[in-house]
Amino acid sequence: MSFDSTRCFLTFLCINLLMIGCSNENVATLSTKSIIYCSEGSPEGFNPQIVISSTTIDATSNQLYNSLITHKGEDNELSPAIAKSWHITRDGTKITFYLRQDIDFHNTSYFTPTRKLNADDVLFSFNRILDSEHEYHDVSGGSYPFFERINFNDLVEDIEKLNEYTVRFTLSRPDSSFLANLATDFAVILSKEYADNLSATYSQQQIDLLPIGTGPFKYKEYRAGAFIRYTAHENYWQKDINIEHLIFDITPSNTGRLTKLLAKECDVVSYPIAHNKIVERSDLVLNEITSFNLAYLGFNTTKAPFNNKLVRKAISYAINKEAIIDAIYFGKADIANSIIPPASWAYDENIPEQEYSISKAINTLNEAGYPDGFTMNLWAMPVERAFNPDALTMAKLIAGDLQKIGINVNIIYDYEWDIFLKLITEGQHHAALLGWTADHPDPDNFFTPLLGCSSTSQGYIGTFWCNDEVDDLIKQSLQTSNIRSRKEYYSDVLKIAEDELPLIPIAHSKRFQGRSKNISGQLLKPFGGITFEKVKKN
Amino acid sequence: MARENIYQEEEFPSPLMQLWYNFKKNPMVMLAFGSYLALAILAIFSPILTPFSSSQSHLEYILLPPAWNDDGNVSFLLGTDKLGRDILSMLMHGASFTFGLSFIIVIISAVIGVLIGSLSALTSGFKSSFLNHFLDVILSIPSLLLAIVIVAILGIGLSNTVLAIIIVLIPQFIHITKNEVKKEFSKDYVLASKLDGASPLRLLRYSIFPNIIERVITQATLAQSAAILDIAALGFLGLGAPSEIPEWGAMLSNGVDLFYIAPWTVYFPGLAILFTVIATNLVGEGLRHALKQRKVY
Amino acid sequence: MLIFTLRRLNLFIFTLIVLTALSFSLSFLFPGDALINLTGQVNATPEQRLLLIEEYKFNSNIFQQYWAYLSHLFDGDLGVSIASHLPISSEIMNLLPATIELSVVALIIAMVVGIPLGFIAAVNHEKFADNTILFVSMLGYSIPIFWLGLLAILIFSIELGWLPSAGRLSLVYEIEPITGIQFFDILMSNSEYKWQAFQDATLHIIMPACVVAMAPMTTFIRLARTSMMEVLESSYIKAAKAKGLTFWQIIHRHAIRNALVNVIRYVGLRFANLVTLAMVTEVIFSWPGIGRWLIESIFQRDYTAIQGGLLALSSFIFIVHILSDFIYAALNPLAREHNHGA
Repeated sequence: MSFDSTRCFLTFLCINLLMIGCSNENVATLSTKSIIYCSEGSPEGFNPQIVISSTTIDATSNQLYNSLITHKGEDNELSPAIAKSWHITRDGTKITFYLRQDIDFHNTSYFTPTRKLNADDVLFSFNRILDSEHEYHDVSGGSYPFFERINFNDLVEDIEKLNEYTVRFTLSRPDSSFLANLATDFAVILSKEYADNLSATYSQQQIDLLPIGTGPFKYKEYRAGAFIRYTAHENYWQKDINIEHLIFDITPSNTGRLTKLLAKECDVVSYPIAHNKIVERSDLVLNEITSFNLAYLGFNTTKAPFNNKLVRKAISYAINKEAIIDAIYFGKADIANSIIPPASWAYDENIPEQEYSISKAINTLNEAGYPDGFTMNLWAMPVERAFNPDALTMAKLIAGDLQKIGINVNIIYDYEWDIFLKLITEGQHHAALLGWTADHPDPDNFFTPLLGCSSTSQGYIGTFWCNDEVDDLIKQSLQTSNIRSRKEYYSDVLKIAEDELPLIPIAHSKRFQGRSKNISGQLLKPFGGITFEKVKKN
Repeated sequence: MARENIYQEEEFPSPLMQLWYNFKKNPMVMLAFGSYLALAILAIFSPILTPFSSSQSHLEYILLPPAWNDDGNVSFLLGTDKLGRDILSMLMHGASFTFGLSFIIVIISAVIGVLIGSLSALTSGFKSSFLNHFLDVILSIPSLLLAIVIVAILGIGLSNTVLAIIIVLIPQFIHITKNEVKKEFSKDYVLASKLDGASPLRLLRYSIFPNIIERVITQATLAQSAAILDIAALGFLGLGAPSEIPEWGAMLSNGVDLFYIAPWTVYFPGLAILFTVIATNLVGEGLRHALKQRKVY
Repeated sequence: MLIFTLRRLNLFIFTLIVLTALSFSLSFLFPGDALINLTGQVNATPEQRLLLIEEYKFNSNIFQQYWAYLSHLFDGDLGVSIASHLPISSEIMNLLPATIELSVVALIIAMVVGIPLGFIAAVNHEKFADNTILFVSMLGYSIPIFWLGLLAILIFSIELGWLPSAGRLSLVYEIEPITGIQFFDILMSNSEYKWQAFQDATLHIIMPACVVAMAPMTTFIRLARTSMMEVLESSYIKAAKAKGLTFWQIIHRHAIRNALVNVIRYVGLRFANLVTLAMVTEVIFSWPGIGRWLIESIFQRDYTAIQGGLLALSSFIFIVHILSDFIYAALNPLAREHNHGA
């Protein structure tokens, strides 16, 4: 009996080995047509309008959808996409978009488009956000975090359809960052025809789960926590796509992703660790891009003792940022002196680096009236982002630093990301390690969300810090399009922020990506999500 | 009048000494026994013996390779981890958790198991058959799976892991005690003391236990190696010791994130577990062999 | 054989009762509301909740509750996952085959490698080969499986690049699950890339299966060795020797068959151990099986999933246990006479 089974097994093995020998040619054909991207997490849905997580943006925006306009080139200039051109009135309050007439929506197993994209689709996509009475406004919760942050509803007074292919936005005031906001990955165009079909069958919620867009790829299959399968959009308006299948292999473990890259199971991986390991391999490439981001330690300024700016200062003196850069970013990041990264035109080199000095920290803490220190909790993001790949370790390092000045730190980490964020917005924390990634190149995307009162009061930032002077300066800066005067306003803001320290800027990091050498084409963008549109596999 | 002792007295070593003679014949086993003792000493005295405190971060020496590497530093013999903690100190301290706790776990579950097992050996009929079936069912659930479920009920953490593994190990002690006690009960010497009027408990205490204790110890060494592997596995899966505690399994799982940057953070805890389990197994093996040898004479 | 079958059936029913009772009691032992733990309906409205209470008889005594739970089990209703809101039974149907596939392949590897090695060791008793095999088996028995898995990935996936490190099949291939056992599904599919997929699946299973097989293999070495040594001592071997058969003839014709029967007896017992190892291995190799899912469920405090998964896994183990008893009984008539299970 054992001989039979042994024989069976050996025969089986031999057959396999033979097959491995003979069919390499066919393997090549299927795998050259497919790209496997190892991503760090599951998307929350398939509509970028309703999310802010970069994981979801990576998985959806540039793959499934297009925006009216987009950022292109090294200078991130605004360039046409769905809108072939646009026009702004002299007072800056009326903007007219002229749409392309040759754009097809995805044809999938669950929707067959009968017409091309037109002004109705654009109106539908934005009215869904603007009009709280809209049929689709409350589908998927009725929250549009990106648009809430930029005060989109206040800003846009009206959207009109001038003809089939012309749309006009009317703004309540001129806003120099409006176009930049429309060019982000959040402002995508959905299909009204698809929505009407869904309404007819009372299955509205499917609009954000089974997506229809105009982008280079269309949805095929998704299994939460496992994979997303996209196929090429055969009628894509821009140009032919080079790959047939795009597969997101969802691999939350850092080591798991790197292993898959090294073992050639993934063509591209997000957020690789152990960069040296990739660089030393001749068949792999490490890509990096300067991403406009910031990792910071935010204080809950509504809670004592963090409402005292001397306490915040003392903590700032005690944190050894250099050690953090070495340990967390392996030296591949810049120490942040202010919230603005050096690559932005609003960066002010006159803002000094915050000093690391234990003795000054102790003195300041004494001055603040806490000579014996205190106990605080520090919340560390339970997810990894380009700006902070390992918040837990960072929290441990900071806890070690603060121990030296008599502050005991309890690290809080054990929450799912959405619950974590919810508790932060409720102000449960004393201090939190969070971060910010800009969605477009305009520096306002740092100032308004991080320091503006309308944004901090929502709680996502974790500081609840509102300073009327800062708020005014930021608003004034948006009213003008003169870069020099805007820079002056921003310098003043940075000076106040440096003195008040509602948050301690820690690092500006780069975004990295590992890929096989045979994958060519730009994937990373300085802002927003990745794009597979121009990627090729040789 | 003193009697001259003209015969060379024949010495009969006690059974325990016989066991020891047989045990120490095998040099491999003795080596393992030595390591076992060393681990025990380490487990008790590690706070004094370690070069650094296992929780002390040396921020200027983050991810230092072992000393024999070109970039190494002699004061950190096995390198440091991502928080700059000395791996050697952590491993030494970890002996108290992975090895020391496994020892305590086995003693507790052996005591409980032997008590229940010997009592159940005295029962018969439906109760005994029910217990038998029940034990069969429990034994058919894999120990690690059962431990995982118990951790799920109690919550994640080291003390709950310990409790879970104690519970998981008890049935096998019940099983072996029951079988051994039943076997002994049918022997003549037990019958003799029964005829003397000894109560069942007295029988257990004075006649049977001394004869089965070695069996139980042998089983205990097996159980200990299983306990070490289970503690480490739960630590590795993130269900046991939290990452601040230098338990070897938890250390290994911390190291996995750094596997490609700092492979030593994975190699050394794994080697420590391997070494300890081998030492424990060899001791058990030697004990079993020695018991068998003694029976031959 | 009839009495044997009845006795097994009795044991089987008893076990199922104990397992379901354990699983039922888990919903009370887990933190939180027992009804939610049992059904997984976290966001039930008050009306839905009343319905559930009615359905699971939570307003009457514990035995009726248990009975209601059992009748739901018979309908294949294990509640829905607290985390993903998918029915537990369908999740298990997706995941359990992957675990079975891995365990069975590992069992085959462990037997095919372990048993011959054990025989070789027995035949060369106390010689070099014996000692080497015993030493290696001691090593294999002591090595922590998660560490072995990591080292295997490092060597075979990264340094040598021979084998893939994660998953069951490259995501490039789309195979419709029919049976859940991937090899069968691939053979049944009509994809033009069928054979490549089959090959790819084979490459994927080799490493995890070998890692799982390591510890059971050492057990089989020991079992086969002891069993062979016993057989070689027995009188029919002496008789065969007296007949003038050569050593290899004896081994081939008589010893192996008889020694094997004794080893088969332990296959069922070993299987439980093997499934545990498979659970840990699934985590390391991202194998989409029930073990990895259970461990993830613990992190997500998905008690309904833990409960259902545990029940499915332990019933499966027990069924294998009993099956192997039957096979043993069929091969060895002596076993049927024995008083089993007591």
